[in-house]
Amino acid sequence: MRFKPTSLLVHLVLLGGGVIMAFPFYWMLATSLKSPQEALQAKPIWVPERMKPGNWLKAARLGDSPLWGGLAPGRSVELVFPGEKGRPPKAFIPRTPGAFFDPRADGTRVEVVYREGAWRVRLTNTTGEAFRFLPLVVLWPKEAPLDPPLPPDALRSQGEDWRLEWVNAVPGALGYLFHNYLEAWHAAPWGRYFFNSFFTALTQVAVGLFLAALAAFALARIPFPGKEAVFVLILATMMVPGEVLLIPNYVLLARLGWLDTYYALIVPWLASVFGIFLLRQFYLSLPQDLFDAARIDGAGYLTQLFRIALPLSLPGLVSYGIFTFLGAYNALLWPLIVTQSPEMRTVQLGLQAFVSEAGSDYGALMAASTLVILPVILGYFFAQRQFIQGIARSGLK
Amino acid sequence: MRTFPLHAVLSWGALLSLGVYAARLGFLAQAWVGVGLGLYALLVLWGIRFGWRHALLALGLMAYWFPPAAFLVPLLFALIFGRGLSEKEQGALYGWALVWPALALLLIWQVFPTFYAFYLSLFERVNFLRPAAFSGLENYRILLQDPLFWRALGNTFWYVVFTVPVGLLLATVVAILLNTQVAFLGLYRTLYFLPYITALTAAAAVWRWIYHPEFGFLNWLLRTPGLDWLNTPKGVFALLLEPLGVQVQGFWAGPSLAFVAIMAMSVWHFLGYQVVILLAGLQAIPKEYYEAAELDGASFWQKHWFITWPLLSPTTFFLFTLGLIGAFQVFTQVYVLTPTGGVLQDTLTLAFYLYNKGFRDADFSYASAIAMVTFLLILGLTLIQRRILERRVNYEI
Repeated sequence: MRFKPTSLLVHLVLLGGGVIMAFPFYWMLATSLKSPQEALQAKPIWVPERMKPGNWLKAARLGDSPLWGGLAPGRSVELVFPGEKGRPPKAFIPRTPGAFFDPRADGTRVEVVYREGAWRVRLTNTTGEAFRFLPLVVLWPKEAPLDPPLPPDALRSQGEDWRLEWVNAVPGALGYLFHNYLEAWHAAPWGRYFFNSFFTALTQVAVGLFLAALAAFALARIPFPGKEAVFVLILATMMVPGEVLLIPNYVLLARLGWLDTYYALIVPWLASVFGIFLLRQFYLSLPQDLFDAARIDGAGYLTQLFRIALPLSLPGLVSYGIFTFLGAYNALLWPLIVTQSPEMRTVQLGLQAFVSEAGSDYGALMAASTLVILPVILGYFFAQRQFIQGIARSGLK
Repeated sequence: MRTFPLHAVLSWGALLSLGVYAARLGFLAQAWVGVGLGLYALLVLWGIRFGWRHALLALGLMAYWFPPAAFLVPLLFALIFGRGLSEKEQGALYGWALVWPALALLLIWQVFPTFYAFYLSLFERVNFLRPAAFSGLENYRILLQDPLFWRALGNTFWYVVFTVPVGLLLATVVAILLNTQVAFLGLYRTLYFLPYITALTAAAAVWRWIYHPEFGFLNWLLRTPGLDWLNTPKGVFALLLEPLGVQVQGFWAGPSLAFVAIMAMSVWHFLGYQVVILLAGLQAIPKEYYEAAELDGASFWQKHWFITWPLLSPTTFFLFTLGLIGAFQVFTQVYVLTPTGGVLQDTLTLAFYLYNKGFRDADFSYASAIAMVTFLLILGLTLIQRRILERRVNYEI
C-alpha cells in the first residue's frame, strides 16, 4: 500500500480525539493506584508510585506472602534503611484515631537497630491474630540521605525529621498495588451489590427475551384477528417517556407490597417494546418458504418458533440481551426509587452511596468506580463484535 | 358456519384476571369485576351453542377467587380440544396466546401507569398519608408559574442546543474518518465507544474528580486554580461577556458553568453511540456513488456535502430525535455531579425536578403533573420535527 499524507492527518485527528475520550479512564485507573498524598496534588502525578514495577518487587519482600502480604502471629518483618549511623530514626505504629482498643498499635513490637550499614526497623506481631495490614510511621533525620525500602505513602516535614507514613508496611506485591481496591472492597458489601445487579440484569434479559420472542413471533408470523390493534398499542407505548412511569409504577409497587424487593427491580422492565420490535424485524426478514416447509412437515407454531425462528435470530437476541443488560446494570434512577435497604442496593446505588461517604478519599473512590465498570468493560473485550453490532442494530429502522 | 371465537374468551379472560387484581389493589371498583365476570359467563353460554364441552370454560369464573384462572382455563381448554381446529382458528388462538404475556405486562407497567399519572396529577398533594382532594388542573396552573419548572425547562433547552449539534458534528467527523479504510479501526472504535458502555454513575464520579476545584486535572490543564466548575451558578454567556463590559441576566445568561460541565461529560458519554450508529449508516451507502463522483472530479468536501450528508440524513435524524428525547430524561449525571441540584438549583433538569418533587418532597400529584407536561412536550416536539425536518430526510438510497 502506498503511503498517503492525508492518512497521517486522519490518524492524528483520530488519535487526538481518542486520547481525550480515553483520558478519564486513565485518570480513574491512575488515581485508583495513588496514595491520598499523591492524589491531592495541585500538579497532577501521571505515574503514581504504585504503578511502577520496581516498587512491586520491593513490596513483595514485605509481609508473609509475596502476593498478599500480611503478618501472622509471632512473625516479624524487617524494613531496611541503608545509611550512616547518626542520629537514630524513630518508628512506631500510629493509633487508629478514636479507637478504644487497637491491637496493631498495642500488640506490635517495634525495634530499631543499626546493623551492617543500615538502620533496620523490625516489626513483630505479638498478638494472637494475623494482621492483614499494618500501618507504620518512621521519623527519619533530615540530615541523613533517605533511601526507604518502599516509597512512603506520605512524606511530611516534622521539625528536625522527615515523617514517613505507610498505610501498610506488610503489603506484598498485590496488596501494595491494589491497596485502594482492597480498602474500597472492605468498606461496603460489594459482593451483595454485585449479586443484586447481576441477578436483576440477567433475569431481565432471560425472561424479557423469552416474552419478547413469543410476542414478536406472533406479530411477525401468525395472522390473527386484532393483530393491527395490538401492534398500534405497542407502538403507542413507545411514545411514553420513562419519567411518566416513575410515580405510578412506584405507587403500584407500593400497593403490591413489592417495594425494596427483587420484584420491584425486575418485573416492571420485563416486557420491552424495543425487544419486541427488534425481534419482529428479524422474524420478518426470514424467508416465508422456511416456515411453509416446516408446516408441510407438520410443525405447529410453537415448533416453528423454537426450532426455526429463534435459532436464526440469534444476532437479534444477542443485540437485545446486551442492550437490556447494559440498561439494567447501569441504571441508577429506578433502583434509587424502589429500594431502601442496603441489602437491596445494586452496584450503581452502592457506588453512589460510596461517593457520598468516601469524602476526599479519591483513591478508594476511583478504585470502587473501576470495580463497578470492570464487568462491562471485560464483557466488551470478550464480545467486541457483538457489542458494536448489537448497538449499531438499534439504529436501523 | 361460523365457529366459536376461543381467542376472544382467552383475551377477555386475560383482561378479567388483570381486572380482578386491579380491584384487589384498589385501582378498580368491585362492580367492574362483576361486569367482567358477567360478560365472561355470557361468552361461555354462547359457546354452549357450539357444543356442550364449552361449558368447561365456565371454570374460568373461579377468577373471582383465583385471578389467573380466567386466562389459564381457556388456554388449557384450547390445548386439550384444539386438535380439530381449522388453521385460521389455530392462528387466532396461538397469536393471542403468544402475545398476551408481553401485552399484559405492557398494560400493567406502561399503559395503565400513563393514565394513572394523569389521574394522580388532578389531585392536591397526593402522598397516601391522608385522603387527597380533587383539584382539577390546579397543579398545572401552579406548574406554569413555578420558576423552578421554567429553570428546568430552560436547562433542557440548553442541553438540546449544546449537546445535540456538538455531539452530532463530532460524531460525524469521527465516523467519516473511521470510514476511510483507516488502519487500527478496531482500536479507535474501542477508544470512542468505551465511554458509552461505562456506567454514568462511575463516569460522573471520575468527572467530578477531574472538575475538582483544588486538585482537579482540568484546573491544572487550563491553569485556572480554584475554579469550582460544579458550584458556579453564573451563566456561561454572562461569564464570557463580562470582560467586554456586557451584563446579561436571566435566561440569556445561558446555562450555568456547572451545567456546561455536566453537558461536556454527557457529550463524552454519548459520542461513542453516535459514532457507531453513524458508521453503520455510512457503510450502508453504496461505494459506486463516490466512485462516480470521483470520476466527475468531485473534491473531498463536495463528495461529503452532496453524497454523504443527504444519504446519511435518516441516521442523523434518528440520532437527533434520540438526543431531543434524551434531553428530557437527563438525571444520573446531574444527580452524581451535583447531588443537590447545584447552587441555586442551577443544574435542575426536568427528570431531576420530578424526582425531587415526588420522592424528596413526597408530592406525587405535582410530580405527575411535571411528568405529563414532559410527555406532552416530547410528543409535540416529535410531531413538529417530523413535520418540518423529516421532509428533508432522504430515506431512499
